[in-house]
Amino acid sequence: MKKPYSPRTPRKFIGAYRPRIEGLEKASGKVKFVDDLTIKSRYSNMLYAKVLRSPHAHARIRKMDVSRARALAGVHAVMTYQDPEFSSLKPTSAGWTDGVDTVSYDRMMWRHFRDRRVLGDYARWVTDEVGAVVAAESEEIAEEALKLIEVDWEVLPFVLDPLEAMKPGAPSVHPEISPSNILPKDEVGGSDVFVDRGNIDKAFAEADAVVEGTSIHHNATQASLDNWCCLVDWTDEQLTVVSNSYEADQSRMHISEMLDLPLHKVRIISSYVGGQFGRGDTGDQPFFLFTALLSKKTGRPVKFRHSRRESFHDSRQPAIYFGKLGAKRDGTITGMYFKSVGNSGAYADHTVFALKFAPTEITEVALAHIPNIKMESYGVYTNMLPACMMRGVGNSQFNLIFGHVVDMLAEKLGMDPIELALKNFGHEWGSLPDKSLTEVLKQGAERIGWREKRHLPGQGPIHDRTKRRGVGFSFHPAWHAEWQEVRRGLITVGITVNADGTVMLEAPTVETGTGSNTCNVLGCAEALAFLGVTPEQISWSPVVDTQTSLKDCVQTDSAVSFLQAEVMAHAADEVRKQVLEKAALILKTKPSELEIDKGRISYKAEPNRNLTLRELFYQGDLAPVVVRIGKTPNSERTGVPYIANFSEVEVDTETGRVQVLKMIVLNDCGTVMFASGAEGQQLGGQVMGMGEALTEEIIYDQATGIPLNFNWIDYKIPTMADMPDIDPVLLEVWKGAGEYGACGIGEGTVTCTPRSVLNAIYNAIGVRIDDIPIKPEKVLRALGKA
Amino acid sequence: MSEEIRIKINGQMHGFQLGRDLAPTTTLAFLLREKLGYTGLKVACDQGACGSCTVLLDGKAALSCMLLAVQADGHEIVTIEGLPKGDPVVEAFAQQCEPGYGTALQCGICTPGFVMSATALLDEKPAPTLPEIKEALSGHICRCGCYAGIAQAVQHAAEKRAEIRAETRAETRAETRAETRAETRAETRAETRAEKGSKS
Repeated sequence: MKKPYSPRTPRKFIGAYRPRIEGLEKASGKVKFVDDLTIKSRYSNMLYAKVLRSPHAHARIRKMDVSRARALAGVHAVMTYQDPEFSSLKPTSAGWTDGVDTVSYDRMMWRHFRDRRVLGDYARWVTDEVGAVVAAESEEIAEEALKLIEVDWEVLPFVLDPLEAMKPGAPSVHPEISPSNILPKDEVGGSDVFVDRGNIDKAFAEADAVVEGTSIHHNATQASLDNWCCLVDWTDEQLTVVSNSYEADQSRMHISEMLDLPLHKVRIISSYVGGQFGRGDTGDQPFFLFTALLSKKTGRPVKFRHSRRESFHDSRQPAIYFGKLGAKRDGTITGMYFKSVGNSGAYADHTVFALKFAPTEITEVALAHIPNIKMESYGVYTNMLPACMMRGVGNSQFNLIFGHVVDMLAEKLGMDPIELALKNFGHEWGSLPDKSLTEVLKQGAERIGWREKRHLPGQGPIHDRTKRRGVGFSFHPAWHAEWQEVRRGLITVGITVNADGTVMLEAPTVETGTGSNTCNVLGCAEALAFLGVTPEQISWSPVVDTQTSLKDCVQTDSAVSFLQAEVMAHAADEVRKQVLEKAALILKTKPSELEIDKGRISYKAEPNRNLTLRELFYQGDLAPVVVRIGKTPNSERTGVPYIANFSEVEVDTETGRVQVLKMIVLNDCGTVMFASGAEGQQLGGQVMGMGEALTEEIIYDQATGIPLNFNWIDYKIPTMADMPDIDPVLLEVWKGAGEYGACGIGEGTVTCTPRSVLNAIYNAIGVRIDDIPIKPEKVLRALGKA
Repeated sequence: MSEEIRIKINGQMHGFQLGRDLAPTTTLAFLLREKLGYTGLKVACDQGACGSCTVLLDGKAALSCMLLAVQADGHEIVTIEGLPKGDPVVEAFAQQCEPGYGTALQCGICTPGFVMSATALLDEKPAPTLPEIKEALSGHICRCGCYAGIAQAVQHAAEKRAEIRAETRAETRAETRAETRAETRAETRAETRAEKGSKS
């Protein structure tokens, strides 16, 4: 048995090792995902939609003939880009929101890059949704109809490589936004040079040691098992969407704004979602709109879902980073310079978030004590799969260069990189060494056996004739603490105390697997300890329905688990007040004469005169106590804690195969809200991170721009047999504002893994490989064997 | 021309007319999910790479997205809906929270597939080692990455099944002993009566 963590503050429910509240429903297959909820037998008159997809990387539709498709038996509608329903729609963005909250069309975060048409005539990547949509009796008929559409394509030259795309004369992907393909300066992200602190040139000129390096992060995809799926019913005035969007309220805003419907006429229903990982941004996918328009046109509910191939719809943004560090002889870092080129693919979405917004935050929360910093970045359009968020936005890419140059500088100075990190990194509101960073690195080093196993690069013992082992680590500031979530605005929960003392909790958020639902229930039981309720006496609804639910707390930033729990802690006083008021009414006394503890209501003056809440309330009108209360996140700037990964690898120098032998993943959580869930996130993040480090990559045919591995046989996701033993380490060192002062951990668990593995590979073989995934051929090339 | 396809599903015999109820190209997954409503199995990759559509075919784990419905003719299928209430594998997946291994499920969409393969494994090998569990379940993808928790769950399920077997054996032995005792008493009484009879 592994060692459990020790909570800083003993609590009754929060922080528990326990099963998830919906564990049995999921393990028995009873949970219904959207594809299950919308099977044909539930909607007998339902039609299926399919959209025409471009076979070319870059092309324009000259003309199109849909007459044969329309004539096919079983086809109910074929709509095209020339229909007024589509040609009248505003251009939009699938990076509509800032990822955490509902905003209108005018306030969308990346309003400078409204680069998507809902069914346009211009295709920007192989697979782009363009030209025509079909509604038919079955998916097979709809597919058949698409094949009957005759399209006259004007095939245009294309570009896949962002460095090529930046050159003068390269094919222009979005001439209407940027003829040069480079995303222009915008209000949120800032200029190309978006951080310029001190004097970087002087710092490097005066430094005792300077290192520079490059790292390249390729396309990896979120690969949720639950393919995008929606059913839209717009057969009367109200438009209803059942979907696996994880942002119900923003979906409603998007549809309302794009189709010019008042908010109360748009109803969004979401339930359990089978994995998210940043897939497809928010609720703003164009396919909701064309499915809606097909429903209106046919007068029937219409279902649209992605096949696995079509679910390669979004990815982590590939980025090429150059980094340079300057330091004094004693290891004090005096200057840092980073330059990045991000491949945004065919649409900008959240490109600038990844390239500028996230690194700017890092300068506050980790690089605050570095006097001279310059960062510049270029987001570049190409004819590839659009790219943006994937379990974090920009942090994994930044960590790949950050951990790289730190390791290089430590080597050059002859220092332990742990010592170098502690000497330099911490947040703006704290002193060095940072307590949180100290603890994650100390514990990680002990558990991996850092002192015993680490050796000079490539100088360790040889195992089994051809294998070399090495250890490495990487660390990163976590996100998001409560102050980083202020943009969300009001977060509301509802607590209904029934007459028998059981509780119905409204903490709306779409459950995508993160376990925030269990955190909600634990947080509610903790906050209502005076009622004596257990988690089993609290109900939680998985369905978010904009018609009946409170506004959902968007399932992103790994932050829902503690944000809603903080609101519940805040709501508890009001619940206590109203319960005592009701009790006083029944007992014909004043609330101030009464008190409640562990579910028993007593007279303050005569503690022995007491009744259970149920005994008392059953003498009254039996109406429940209902409290709906909101709170905006606390804006107190508390900094953030740290996360780290330590890895031990074995590299076969004959075959180039890298095997990870052991991993330690460490998260300072502030407060652990639900230990088993948090460990699940930590372990799961290593699976995804190891995939990105070693195997996962989308491959294109360079001659045609056609993606070659949009399937799970050739896109290699780690399975159980690939994974090493992993120690998840939960810590509580830092604390943010509020009752729990917790910090999101889900996204961060994946951030440090690729760099940790890469540093371990360097320690093993003594040669640095700069681009992930580290496939065997790259190792052999690095060793001069291929 | 029509042909009847007969498949036993979760203990109940179903007949389908080829051409009317299903096409020669209908997959078993489509038949089970879309026609019969067994939505516990999922179609996530539709090419046998992720295991989320796994069912039992004559007791062995089978990928229902890779089988045609007609191939199941004359065979017995069990979907996750066909497992008994209180199934030890289902419960072990639901309950895993042993510190250090996380939970055995997060989003839960791959879980029914894992449960079916784990069931087939435990039927064949009642006490599998960790490498055997990894090997048997390596055809499944859990994108939430709950592999460590899943391995624990399978080990716990194996223990629970062993306990149930031991209890069943103990009960059977007890019943057998009770029956033997009853028979012996009856025989003794009969003999006594016979003896008495012979005496009278």
